[in-house]
Amino acid sequence: MNLFYKIITFRPSFGLRIVTGLVGIVLSLAICGIVGLTDMVAAQLKTNDEAFEGRLMEAGAKVYFEQCARCHGLQGKGADGAAPAISSIAFLGAQNTNPPTPSQRLKDIGWIGSLESYIEAVTTSGIPIKSSQAWEQNHPPFAQRFAGPLRDDQIKNVTKFVANWRLKPFTDGVVDAPKPGAGSGPQPTPMPLGPKENAGLEVFKGAGGCTACHAVRGVAAGAVGPTLNKLVSTAEKRVTQADYKAAGGKATDAAGYIRESIVAPNTYIVPDCPQGACPSGVMIQNLQQILKPEELENLIAYLMTLR
Amino acid sequence: MAIIGQKLVRQIRETGWKATVAQRTDDAFTRFTAGLTWDDVRGILRGDPPAKPNPRVKPHTEGFWFHIRPTFYHEAVTTLYPTFRLGYLSALFFLIETITGMFLMIFYTPSPERAFTNMIDILTNVPFGSFMRDLHRLGAEAMVVVVTLHMWRTYITGSYKKPRQFTWFTGVVLLIITMFLSFSGYLLPWDQLAFWAVTIGTSMADAAPLVGREVNLLLRGAPDIGAGGLLRFYLFHVLLFPLIGIVFLGVHYYKVVRWGISLPPELEAIGEDTARKVDQTKRVMFMPDIITNEIMYAAVAMAILAVSAATWYTAPLETHSNPQVTPLHTVAPWYFYWLQGLIKIPHILPFPDTLNFINKPVDDFFALVGLTPKMLWGIVIPPIIIVLLFAIPYIDPNPSRRYKDRKIAIGLAVAFELLILYLSLGGIPTGVPGTGFGYVGGNPVVEVAQEFIPDEGESEVKAIPYDQLIVGKYPLANDPAIDERNAPRLREIVRAIYADIEHRKHTADPLGKKMPEEAEGDVQVKLLQENLKEFIITIRYIDENQAPQTFSKNAYIHKNSDYR
Repeated sequence: MNLFYKIITFRPSFGLRIVTGLVGIVLSLAICGIVGLTDMVAAQLKTNDEAFEGRLMEAGAKVYFEQCARCHGLQGKGADGAAPAISSIAFLGAQNTNPPTPSQRLKDIGWIGSLESYIEAVTTSGIPIKSSQAWEQNHPPFAQRFAGPLRDDQIKNVTKFVANWRLKPFTDGVVDAPKPGAGSGPQPTPMPLGPKENAGLEVFKGAGGCTACHAVRGVAAGAVGPTLNKLVSTAEKRVTQADYKAAGGKATDAAGYIRESIVAPNTYIVPDCPQGACPSGVMIQNLQQILKPEELENLIAYLMTLR
Repeated sequence: MAIIGQKLVRQIRETGWKATVAQRTDDAFTRFTAGLTWDDVRGILRGDPPAKPNPRVKPHTEGFWFHIRPTFYHEAVTTLYPTFRLGYLSALFFLIETITGMFLMIFYTPSPERAFTNMIDILTNVPFGSFMRDLHRLGAEAMVVVVTLHMWRTYITGSYKKPRQFTWFTGVVLLIITMFLSFSGYLLPWDQLAFWAVTIGTSMADAAPLVGREVNLLLRGAPDIGAGGLLRFYLFHVLLFPLIGIVFLGVHYYKVVRWGISLPPELEAIGEDTARKVDQTKRVMFMPDIITNEIMYAAVAMAILAVSAATWYTAPLETHSNPQVTPLHTVAPWYFYWLQGLIKIPHILPFPDTLNFINKPVDDFFALVGLTPKMLWGIVIPPIIIVLLFAIPYIDPNPSRRYKDRKIAIGLAVAFELLILYLSLGGIPTGVPGTGFGYVGGNPVVEVAQEFIPDEGESEVKAIPYDQLIVGKYPLANDPAIDERNAPRLREIVRAIYADIEHRKHTADPLGKKMPEEAEGDVQVKLLQENLKEFIITIRYIDENQAPQTFSKNAYIHKNSDYR
């Protein structure tokens, strides 16, 4: 208590005041000098810049997986009929080659700006005209000022994320090319549709609600369930597979397999959806009740044309 | 011009050019200091006794800057006790905030499109930018502390009593202005911390009866905080509140010239005020003693602040504000924790069951006049506290300033302080660590993930060195299959998550919730791209409806992002 009293009633001498004050001023100035030196000479600013570039890219990754991966895929490899690859060497070029490979895509469409500006522009405003018949729909606008869901800073961040694939791009994926019908991947063989098949196509697009999840080149661009372009040949192969039989599959031909997949979709879960392994239980379970018997028959007839 | 020239030539001719330069310089210097010659200032800084008549009082009567400082103090108030220099330090922090604030203003635009980008620019492109921001933020927090302590000191020494009632009144205004300045500055970085702290703060106004909605609209410029709200808070922060602050600071300071600093209570007769009736032998002149003292305090405070900002303190910056995503455990600024505590009062009452016989009738009564408990505690009580603060000098009937005569007043103050402390602790969103007091957490599974990958702010997971994030899937275990030598940090985190889950299985949280017995999980590290990895915590458990559930939470980690 005595010591406390001494401290709070201590009267610093004149000299002590001047010396302490000087020490304080010199120390403050020294700190300013050190901060200035580390910022400008020791490139602290550059380190900060790289750190924030990284953090913004992390934020961009979040946006990518929430908004873009739905169509472009978890690895950016695209989905047939839905969206092209954006992690491929054809789209991005590459920086792990010597010399760096330029982007084929920018060359094809004659874009004179940078890759980043292209990604940002397309994400912001979408693609105004069709450059390819390979896709059901044009790239939609994502910026809030174009009635999309994303703020401009989010678009800048996701651009950083996508462009970062350039360091080590994939060599596969669904390539986008400006010539009509030049998209890669399997395409359905064109088949003439009779009245029954045409009615089935209407069910496919309408009452069945199939287009929401499935892709068929020229008809639908859903990216949740498996792509149906080569459905019949896939089905014919599948009914002979051991794991299909082990899972309880009873069909012996393609038509039976397709019927089973519609009325009892959980019998066998196929492994190859656009976004990786197909999810179980996502396909509508009661289509047999929703559709009239003749609608179901027409639908199967239409699906049998996808060879 | 010609005449001045002629005079100069004549003077040089008569006294020689050296004496002329010396005389003219001293003349300019004397005009600058409002009456002190170079020799006077030198004498002040050397501690020499003044000449007679004392020239050192001239700046107080003739200059602007010193006319709001007294010419002398009583020697009893020049030690640390009784003032602790808190008022002076408050003004000093106001000055520091103004200077650093003007620096930051240069690089800032109050618009939602630009603000957050500006913050990053300040940190990555502006020399001294992050230093100035740290100084500004730390100075603001320190200013809230110092101003509050200043009020407590004034109360404890009874210095608000006659004739200083109005000084106290202006002081309460300055306290509120300080809080508002700090709070309005909170929004400007436009990150998640800013957005949600201010959303919470202004929504309190929303709960007020009758005018709440209108006040909220005026503050935010729209039902929700957006471009209008940001601009308004910016204008409050850089224009309105500083202007009000400067006016009241001027009045407050002038009152010190008029009445002096009140002496320690034991030195005066009861009911008398002798701070301006000081015997010649007890006077300590402003120059040289007080001014050197103040320069010393300013220099030391500035040095402490600068060292702190340059070393241990970093002003927080979370991710870009997002009105669609409320981060878990959103917080108000710490100096409003007591308000959060008030709103949470049903959660933090001691012996809630025992006190229910008071609590319930009170709630029922207020329900009759249309007040919910939240409105009562959040809206009715704080204005009452503020009005009481203003009224203290006018309702205190005790003329004595002596401590032994003011047992009730000081006892009440200590009780009030303890109450505020209690409410503040209860207002901490995650409760007081280790006690569960004030805890309002949710599902233990979510809380585990939040602990290691919080929605915002510092995170242990993000601080793992990038090269230790070895790609793979690691089931949670006490001895995970991770090489101690390659990835000690990763191993430690996986073990810590496991230990946390096991701990929560045996120990219920303060709300009685336990981690389900079967809960287990894994940590997965994925390489998404070159230099970019994903860290995923997955927890699988059986919920109360016996349905299997999976919860996972992830973090993206870039090689350079440097969270430490």
